[in-house]
Amino acid sequence: MSGPDERGVNDPLDLEASPGEARASTAEDEDEDEASAHGGPAADAQGRGRDDSEKLDQYLLRRYHLYGDRTAREQLITMYLPLVRSLARRYASRGEHFDDLVQVGAIGLIKAIDRFDLSRGVELTTYATPNIVGEIKRYFRDKGWSVRVPRGLQELNIRLNKVIDELVPKLQRSPTINELAEAANATPEQVLEALESSQAYNSVSLQASPNGGGGEEDAGLIDYLGGEEEAYGAMEDRTTLAPGFAKLDKRERYILHLRFFEGLTQSQIAERVGISQMHVSRLIRRSLEKLREEIGELDNPQIMRPPGDDPE
Amino acid sequence: MAERIDLEVPATLNALSTVRMVLGGLGARLDFSLDDLEDLYLATDELLRTALDADALDRWSVEMLVDAGVLRFAAGTFKSAKLRADVSIHAEDCLDLCMLLRRTVDDVVFEDEGGAYRIVLVKRRKGGPA
Repeated sequence: MSGPDERGVNDPLDLEASPGEARASTAEDEDEDEASAHGGPAADAQGRGRDDSEKLDQYLLRRYHLYGDRTAREQLITMYLPLVRSLARRYASRGEHFDDLVQVGAIGLIKAIDRFDLSRGVELTTYATPNIVGEIKRYFRDKGWSVRVPRGLQELNIRLNKVIDELVPKLQRSPTINELAEAANATPEQVLEALESSQAYNSVSLQASPNGGGGEEDAGLIDYLGGEEEAYGAMEDRTTLAPGFAKLDKRERYILHLRFFEGLTQSQIAERVGISQMHVSRLIRRSLEKLREEIGELDNPQIMRPPGDDPE
Repeated sequence: MAERIDLEVPATLNALSTVRMVLGGLGARLDFSLDDLEDLYLATDELLRTALDADALDRWSVEMLVDAGVLRFAAGTFKSAKLRADVSIHAEDCLDLCMLLRRTVDDVVFEDEGGAYRIVLVKRRKGGPA
């Protein structure tokens, strides 16, 4: 019997080159992503056909489900990220950052891989697509407006999100209200109102379990986000260990650190973390709110104090 | 020419939105960048929220003055020694109110009035167009 790290004699494919063979999506092959989304992402232009791709899927799925090979799981995730990007792109015009949608969609992909039933005889693409789309739709559902905001303001808010993302690199600085108004074809008063209303927009907690569980054993969404982990890990400031900060997820701690200890502006943080400036604003406010609640429980109205520091 | 707006608002969380809207209007007139405006929102929000806990006032008196690219925000009239300490004393390596204000506005000034005081936040335009 084969062990988890042994390759069976009948294994059809040489995996030495993987996951490099699984194309990393770039700007230039985004169109290809769309085309390959339903044909399997490993079906590259070099001639490896659909059959081979399916065999590779099945091989990796067997490796993972029968032998617990985590590397095979990672390869599958990497292979199908173009599919996730393709599906996320369909929802990218609804006001959420594309990268956030890809990250959420990736959770759907991971669930699909983990829950895949080898005995059903279906392709992974068939099973994964509704899982990915479902996860993205759930993300939008969970990010509803917490108070009723007129539709016109919601739409302006979405427009502003895009306009800010466009203007910051163009101007090489944060735009003014008047510039936003001009670009969004609105009045400065409408822009201010829309920005104020954006605070009523709920963000899904990255600490929340994608499985809906709240136990410590449940992985949070943040655990699925790979890109910034190293940056978060490099943050060794003492503040991250202090009371209050423990209530924050990694990204919130990182953003507060960048804003208040590194002195970056919201626009600079948005660029660094890869989310919109408005999202940074919401995260900072939400983080401060959490800190305030936590410190409130400690009967201390200041945002945070170091351990053992008596305010009186 | 300097322009001054005086507000007297209930000392409640709901009033913060009113204060922000007026600040936003003045900031827009000064051509503050969105980053500067967000900083100003954060500073005033956190200051007044802390004041809400520390000082049992029914109403806040808020004065906003704009002149030559500078927005001056004054709130009061407070009596709490604790609020004053929270605004002025920074515990090293901690994200406290004092540090947050330092990071978001250019100056923080106390104006004493008898036994009470006002807190003045000064924000200068810097991130907007030349």
